[in-house]
Amino acid sequence: MEPMNFDASLAKLEEIVAELESGQLSLEESLAMFEQGVALSVFCQKELKKTESKVSKLIQKINGDIELEPFED
Amino acid sequence: MVNDFITVEALNAYIGRLFETDDILQNFWLKGEISGFRCYQQSGHMYFTLKDEQAAVSCVMFKSCTRGLKFKPEDGMEVLLRGTVAMYGKQGKVQVYAEEMQPFGTGGMFLYLEKLKKRLKDEGCFDPEKKKELPPMANKIGIVTSQDGAALRDILRVLKLRHPGVEVVIAHSSVQGTEAPAEIARGIQLINTFGDIDIIIVGRGGGSFEDLMAFNSETVVYAIVDSVIPVISAVGHEVDFSLSDFAADMRAATPTQAAALAVPDYRELEERVCKHAARLQRLMERNLSLREEALDRIMMKRVWREPALLLEKKKNMLDDCNKKLSQAMQDILIRRGHTLAMAAGGLDKLSPLQVLGRGYAILGTRDHIVKSIDDINSGDEIYAELIDGTLKMEMKGKEKRKKWNR
Repeated sequence: MEPMNFDASLAKLEEIVAELESGQLSLEESLAMFEQGVALSVFCQKELKKTESKVSKLIQKINGDIELEPFED
Repeated sequence: MVNDFITVEALNAYIGRLFETDDILQNFWLKGEISGFRCYQQSGHMYFTLKDEQAAVSCVMFKSCTRGLKFKPEDGMEVLLRGTVAMYGKQGKVQVYAEEMQPFGTGGMFLYLEKLKKRLKDEGCFDPEKKKELPPMANKIGIVTSQDGAALRDILRVLKLRHPGVEVVIAHSSVQGTEAPAEIARGIQLINTFGDIDIIIVGRGGGSFEDLMAFNSETVVYAIVDSVIPVISAVGHEVDFSLSDFAADMRAATPTQAAALAVPDYRELEERVCKHAARLQRLMERNLSLREEALDRIMMKRVWREPALLLEKKKNMLDDCNKKLSQAMQDILIRRGHTLAMAAGGLDKLSPLQVLGRGYAILGTRDHIVKSIDDINSGDEIYAELIDGTLKMEMKGKEKRKKWNR
């Protein structure tokens, strides 16, 4: 499977639901679809559970180097 | 010969001293229209004439003061400046030394902004087709604003509320005053150089018209237009537009709104994902139960419950076939038997016995049938076969018949 990103995964999940809804699939196809859909929804939910926010400040030093330093708000 | 005279230098110095000691001339506001505007690249000083219908006066604004300008002076512009009058002795010229300057009245400032807006628009800075699309799932947000401002707190609060995993990179800049335009522009460039940022929010909280002027500067407009990363402009109040709003890829009325535009609401997304997962489950269950029902319907049929029925039916069919077969065979035999009887009847007519029955006899010797008088001679022993026996006879004589009349 291609590297997943949330956006594409959610779109794919919606696509799968629509396809299953159409009822045009064979049992084997719908089982495969279902399996993929479950994997996608698990991935999406996991992505959404990321709660580690990070705030930093961008500093340009005299020599032109750019650095990040933690920012306490 | 007059002995009591002064030099030009002394005169000018004297006049200059008069000016310096006059309270009015040392601090006044002067209104007029700019003409002959020049700004020397090297020194950074500005020279121009301020005039109205009846009069004109030379003006200078030194670099140290020009930095505070919130607009770009040009010929024909009505301005209000504060300054002092002094004598420029070398040329015997009365000059106004301007310390601050602004377009005349708020109306003047608006007029200036309108002109600047038109120019930037003509340059293509606000072209809708140049606007970049905001990524729908931004994770990394750059912010250019004052690190001490309420705007930053608001943005961070809303970002974290909507997207608990958000990554934020702040480029601090002042947001009002002389240095603000350059610092804001540098902040935007800095984040672009840093890269790996999905969206930049540029803004500040509300303030007076003057306070928001940095966001009306062409420096900031250009920086926004040049940004490779999409920019959301978030300046002050809802009502006013700043030029940065026009230049940005998206305009937010407030910093709070900018944060809401930048990242999706994760609670909403989670709901959506859960809804889909549940729907997926339901669909699959329905899918399976539909097939189960179909299977049930088939299994309900009698033959599955009483398989003997299936055999019985086959047996009946077999019996039927057998019956039909023997019937057909019989028919054939009867038809053939009939034909045989007919054929036998025909044979019967040809039988010699029938002929004998009608009174004919068959003549013969011991070993052959006599068909001609030449077959035997007188004295020969002959036999006549009749229907009911054989006559033994002796041939006495023969007579040839001429011909049978047929």
